[in-house]
Amino acid sequence: MKDSLVTVARSLIFVAFALILCALVFQFAGYNAPVMLWAVADGAFLRSGAIEQSLRWALPLFITAVGVGISFRAGFFNIGAQGQFYVGAICAAFAAEAFKGGPAFLVIPALIIAGTLGGALWALWPGLLRLRSGTDEVITTLMGNFMAGLLLVYVTSGPLKDPSGSGQQASSRPLDAAYRISDSLGISPTTIAIGAAVGILMWLLVNRTAFGVLASLAGRNGTMVEWQGARLWKLGLSSFIISGALAGLAGTIEFMGPNGRIASGFLPAHGFTAILIALVANLSVVGTAAAAVFFGGLASAALYLPIMAGLPAAAIDIINAAIALFITARSKLVDQVLRLGGRPS
Amino acid sequence: MNEIIIAILRSGTPLIYVTLAGVIAQRAGVWNLGLEGLMIMGACATIVGIMLTNSIVAAILIAILICVLASVLLWFVIDRLKANPIIAGLGLTGLGLGGTALAVQSIFGSQASVTAPFGIPKLGPAFGAYGVLSIAVAAMPFVVFGMWVMLRRTRFGLRLAACGEHPFAARSVGANPSRMRLVALAIGGVLCAIGGAELAAGSLQFFAQGMTAGRGFMAFAAVIFGASHPVGATFAALFFAVVGALGIRAQLMFGDKIPHDLLQALPYLATVFGVWLSGKLRGGAKAASSFAELKDQ
Repeated sequence: MKDSLVTVARSLIFVAFALILCALVFQFAGYNAPVMLWAVADGAFLRSGAIEQSLRWALPLFITAVGVGISFRAGFFNIGAQGQFYVGAICAAFAAEAFKGGPAFLVIPALIIAGTLGGALWALWPGLLRLRSGTDEVITTLMGNFMAGLLLVYVTSGPLKDPSGSGQQASSRPLDAAYRISDSLGISPTTIAIGAAVGILMWLLVNRTAFGVLASLAGRNGTMVEWQGARLWKLGLSSFIISGALAGLAGTIEFMGPNGRIASGFLPAHGFTAILIALVANLSVVGTAAAAVFFGGLASAALYLPIMAGLPAAAIDIINAAIALFITARSKLVDQVLRLGGRPS
Repeated sequence: MNEIIIAILRSGTPLIYVTLAGVIAQRAGVWNLGLEGLMIMGACATIVGIMLTNSIVAAILIAILICVLASVLLWFVIDRLKANPIIAGLGLTGLGLGGTALAVQSIFGSQASVTAPFGIPKLGPAFGAYGVLSIAVAAMPFVVFGMWVMLRRTRFGLRLAACGEHPFAARSVGANPSRMRLVALAIGGVLCAIGGAELAAGSLQFFAQGMTAGRGFMAFAAVIFGASHPVGATFAALFFAVVGALGIRAQLMFGDKIPHDLLQALPYLATVFGVWLSGKLRGGAKAASSFAELKDQ
């Protein structure tokens, strides 16, 4: 118990480090740092209705981050969540075109399956390259993000183009209202149920199945697991597929839920934030839910800042980036202070 | 033909400078995924520096200062706070992309692109058609050669490699891996600043948000593709530049048949192919991608 408390305290200390760094950057850029940070907190949690908005952003982040956590657990740096998120949304959008006019109770599950499969496929090729040829997955998944981004630009300005759209941003035709799973403002019982189901299933998978245990062991020491007779590449590939599938599912929810359509370059920082959430939560499923609410708050504040306070939304990117810079840090000094009187590490 | 070579040199030179920064970091044992962020900081600082000081030398010095400071921050987080280099590098990249957007907004009042009155001096008419290239392009082969000499033929370079490959052994002969990493990252900061300066003020003279468009990550892939050898990585970077230039050609020629968004993906595809090939040839260039430490803490 004490150990996990120390872990939480350490995360908080380094998040505080990150906020100090942000304050310096803001001050340096000519803003008033305390005012800026207060505006962020206000937009995230304190204003009326802010909590609902935060949850709306937290939900897809949570689903993606749980998936990222699964692949990180197994020892694979799948940083392609952004691409898998996009491809999932694109596949769901194509499926929506194909099944147009069908009964909602059939079409909705079909779209969700299509999006999930799309995300899984976009994670499959870096996984195969890694496990079959030893190709570094950091680079392949990263490049996959750029390619998926371009693919999104292509489908929203080509095959799925909304002819009535404004010139500002290419977007797809809107999804029929019958197939939407939430209104454009935020969350609905359906989306919350999907999120809860994902959370419970993944918690069971990680903590209560042989796969979960073996995958985390493989992340620590792959050779040992292989010697004990587990198929390392099967574990690895499954973790890639699961993480991709969940990112694709999040993309689908974004498409069928609040967004109602896909647009070129929507939610460009989603994958990066999801990676952060998984790391802040130390890869635990329950922790991921808590961290997702925090970062969901930041995401909702990003929309509020430019309108209400005249501050650029880039402020949120900087906060996220600074947290990324520090989140995996471990300092002996900090640990010693935290463990004051405890057993030595 | 001249046109194509000029296009390749133009797009390849910033990439090569940044790739060299990645090479030296890699030799010191640091996976530097902050290259993208350092590059855009360099690009932004150069343009802002030109506007503020009206001098290209001062502007590049400002860019170097900022990039070295950011590199030292990365070193502190990775080396002193034992952070995961890949995540910390991505964090630095985010800081660069967000920070430059914020800086442009706060200095110029809008997030639109910023145009400077002049850029890095050009070679001039004495070089014929190649006179339109900046002097940073002409300096590039010498920098690559100097880097090769430094990394492969000097005591410093060999010690650096030793520190990267086996810090424990290096320490036993009196090298200080931590300080070596600091020096390597600082030199990388200088190179990224020049790469960013060439990108923003070489042939063009403007800065736009996110103008690096993944070049820093491509440079990192060139490091892996080129087996972190300065010359090999340079050729890998040139290869990506060639693919990019061919992609642009192809857009002009078949733009009506093949969607140009998909042709734009060619350099990224080439990167994946290059990294796959280098893995095939050398039995895998794997990231130190274990989260064991994180979880066993």
